[in-house]
Amino acid sequence: MAVLDRRNRRQIANTAFVTFSTTAAVIAITALAAILFSLLVKGVSGLNLDIFLLSTPAPQSHGGLANAIVGSLMLCTVAMIGAVIVGVLAGTFLAEYSGLHPLLNAYGSVVRFLNDVLLSAPSILIGLFVYYIAVRPVHGFNGWAGALALGLIAAPVVTRTTEDVLKLQAKQLRESGVALGAPMWVTIQKVLWRASSGGILTGALLAFARISGETAPLLFTSLGNQFMNFDLTKPISNLPAVIFQFGLSAYDDWQSLAWVGALLIAFAVLSINILVRVLSQEQKRS
Amino acid sequence: MTDTKTEVYESFVEAIPADTIKLETKNLDFFYGKNKSLHNVSIPFQRKSITGLIGPSGCGKSTLLRALNRIYALYPGQKAEGQILLDGANVLDKGVDLSLLRARVGMVFQQPTPFPMSIYDNVAFGVRLYEKISKADLDQRVEESLKRSALWNEVKDKLHTSGLGLSGGQQQRLCVARTIAVRPEVILLDEPASALDPISTAKLEETLVELKADYTIVIVTHNLQQAARISDHAAFMFLGRLIEFAQTAKLFDNPKASRTADYITGRFG
Repeated sequence: MAVLDRRNRRQIANTAFVTFSTTAAVIAITALAAILFSLLVKGVSGLNLDIFLLSTPAPQSHGGLANAIVGSLMLCTVAMIGAVIVGVLAGTFLAEYSGLHPLLNAYGSVVRFLNDVLLSAPSILIGLFVYYIAVRPVHGFNGWAGALALGLIAAPVVTRTTEDVLKLQAKQLRESGVALGAPMWVTIQKVLWRASSGGILTGALLAFARISGETAPLLFTSLGNQFMNFDLTKPISNLPAVIFQFGLSAYDDWQSLAWVGALLIAFAVLSINILVRVLSQEQKRS
Repeated sequence: MTDTKTEVYESFVEAIPADTIKLETKNLDFFYGKNKSLHNVSIPFQRKSITGLIGPSGCGKSTLLRALNRIYALYPGQKAEGQILLDGANVLDKGVDLSLLRARVGMVFQQPTPFPMSIYDNVAFGVRLYEKISKADLDQRVEESLKRSALWNEVKDKLHTSGLGLSGGQQQRLCVARTIAVRPEVILLDEPASALDPISTAKLEETLVELKADYTIVIVTHNLQQAARISDHAAFMFLGRLIEFAQTAKLFDNPKASRTADYITGRFG
């Protein structure tokens, strides 16, 4: 009897647990589906060629999002160039060099800790910080400040992934390069980075996805621009800020443009995530 | 373990003619942090011959090998004391250019470690570091190295495909090719066949025997038959000490130390 009792209890516990986790999964997916659905419904109707050709309009007039799309691409690209350079080098230091000496090790621990803090820092803080170092001193909102803020958000992600991926490489791969007479830095550049390139690229893409929707830091830095602008020393338009401004406005056509902008960002993030999946699948295969 | 410290270790080292010695250690001690793992090891390696290092796991044979090209220097806390003489010059001296030393004393590891690049680039990797040679010369060097490592026929039509696509045995011979392409003087091998199947192992052994015409080879193996098959001299190590060094045939047929006899007859290890 006791055995049966226990078996029953186990079965009930199992059923309860499965039901509970399934429900949780359904809730999560429903929320996601609802967001995507409303984005599609409200965004697709406003989608047309002018979105990509015309700049953001004055109230009650016809326009598109071209300046915001170009601005966002510029800001994210500049931010990612900086973040990848800093992140890959910092990650390489943490993985390859910080263990070489007790002092470097202590320094490495501090860097690693601060990087983790930065990883989860509220982006509005970063916006405020950059406002004080790159907007106020020059008395004007500008694109460089926006790129800097986005870069500060992306760099810790790249740093972390680079460190993790490099640490996954076999010790003997490192030793093989060195055993051929290659100095450590050559081995890192020609062998280890190459062996880790897939993982580093994945990290960079995820960081790109992360910053493509950041709004708060851009409101403090790049602000926005009604016109097409390629000059990073001036305020520059960007999709998240336009969504913020237009979405809260009283004008129907502005609200519609905000939905289209949101749809574009969601689509970009989704594509990046799919690309990352494909890339990591391919890596597993090779 | 405490009694091993007080135990007396007698080591039997057969002398070899001084002018045939390419590399030798003298009173070599090795430390992992505070842990002493080689004790006073003095062993000669004869030019253009194969020396096999045998002994049970943890006896220090890999440690000894890794001291010879100072690969251990990658890791802080590991250090060697004593002398390692390469053509009479102590490689443990301060100011020795480690990269140059490693170009002279090449190493092949237990696991095949092809670089994530083409077969050609794998072999050319070390050459490009130290020599500015023409494309034609480089092509020739790559071909020659692959031929000497008995891999050429299997890869000559796919030199520009990834080295990661080769089988384990081919990858290991690629690592040998990569090492000899640099034209080192000594080749160290750390259980190079332990990840290979018997056929690949046989091919690798043939390659090594052919290579000894030009190189001084030191191979760590825990496969006694392998040591007996290919090495000219053998060294038996135990608990970080050199117990016996002699011509392979003598060491196997007529060991002087009782520990050596116990080990090669399978009484322990």
